[in-house]
Amino acid sequence: MKVKVVTKILEANERIANENRRFFDNAGLYVINLMSGPGAGKTSVLEKTLTPATGLRIGVIEGDIAGSDDAERIAGCGAPVVQINTGGACHLDANMIYEVLGDLPLQDLDLLVIENVGNLVCPAEFNLGENVKVMVLSIAEGHDKPLKYPLMFQESSALILNKIDLAPYLDVDLAKIRRDASLLNPKLKIFEVSCKTGQGLSEWIAWLKELIPKHS
Amino acid sequence: MHELSIAQNIIDIISEQCLKSGHTRIEAVNIRIGRASGIMSDALFFAFDAIKAESIAEGAVLHIEEVPVSGRCNECKSDFIVQEVYILFCPHCGGGSFRMVSGKEMDIIDMEVS
Repeated sequence: MKVKVVTKILEANERIANENRRFFDNAGLYVINLMSGPGAGKTSVLEKTLTPATGLRIGVIEGDIAGSDDAERIAGCGAPVVQINTGGACHLDANMIYEVLGDLPLQDLDLLVIENVGNLVCPAEFNLGENVKVMVLSIAEGHDKPLKYPLMFQESSALILNKIDLAPYLDVDLAKIRRDASLLNPKLKIFEVSCKTGQGLSEWIAWLKELIPKHS
Repeated sequence: MHELSIAQNIIDIISEQCLKSGHTRIEAVNIRIGRASGIMSDALFFAFDAIKAESIAEGAVLHIEEVPVSGRCNECKSDFIVQEVYILFCPHCGGGSFRMVSGKEMDIIDMEVS
């Protein structure tokens, strides 16, 4: 016999994401889901963001398939950090976040950054309970990326174009990246950043501080 | 790769609903996947068949209805379907103000149980 189901496939993830969000709201915590392909520079951007100059108390959840290299880099900056190893899964889901919430001093933080698994496709699909999604694209990845991987550009509130110092050495068309990304998502805020030279970091950090209510 | 998580979610949902309806075997399940959802049907078929063993869905056949990416223009009011997995502008008037009507679906519609 036929049975009607009519359910969103990711309903369970959405439900847990909503619970996470209520938890974050109650703790007065702003949460960013930081996404990119592998090697775009998420951890480097975070290292540059974890400076006393922000005036923000920032905690980090590191998501990786394996290893704790990124968590060690973050701990080296003096920030509270917890590592999640997905053991093969190509993205974080809401339940993985839920399970580590007790491992961070959330009441003492202003901002929690969840660094997702390096992957330009899957993480965009799974809400974690964050306030905003932010993505990093290294300009060396090429100007075809927005139209090849539109979902992440559509879901993000900000795009950090990292490794901008490499522009003179690459044939990448930055105007095309900006144009296509803005067509996919007219509200997308774009920052050109170099973690090596420091270019653009102050604009990114200023935007970040404006997001967080008690610091605006 | 996230098709594996999607397949697991499908099996969890239909197993629960099947038992709730008083049945113990799932013969088939019909789902709807938008072309802009980021899901590859072939990968989802593979993942579903790989993990359905030892569940009450072990004999289940997965049917996927692919939904095209469609939009409605806010300017010329036309309805349109695009071949890409995104819409950049209205193909009729070239306007940049539009609403995506379909293409991001990820829904279980119904199933056959016994």
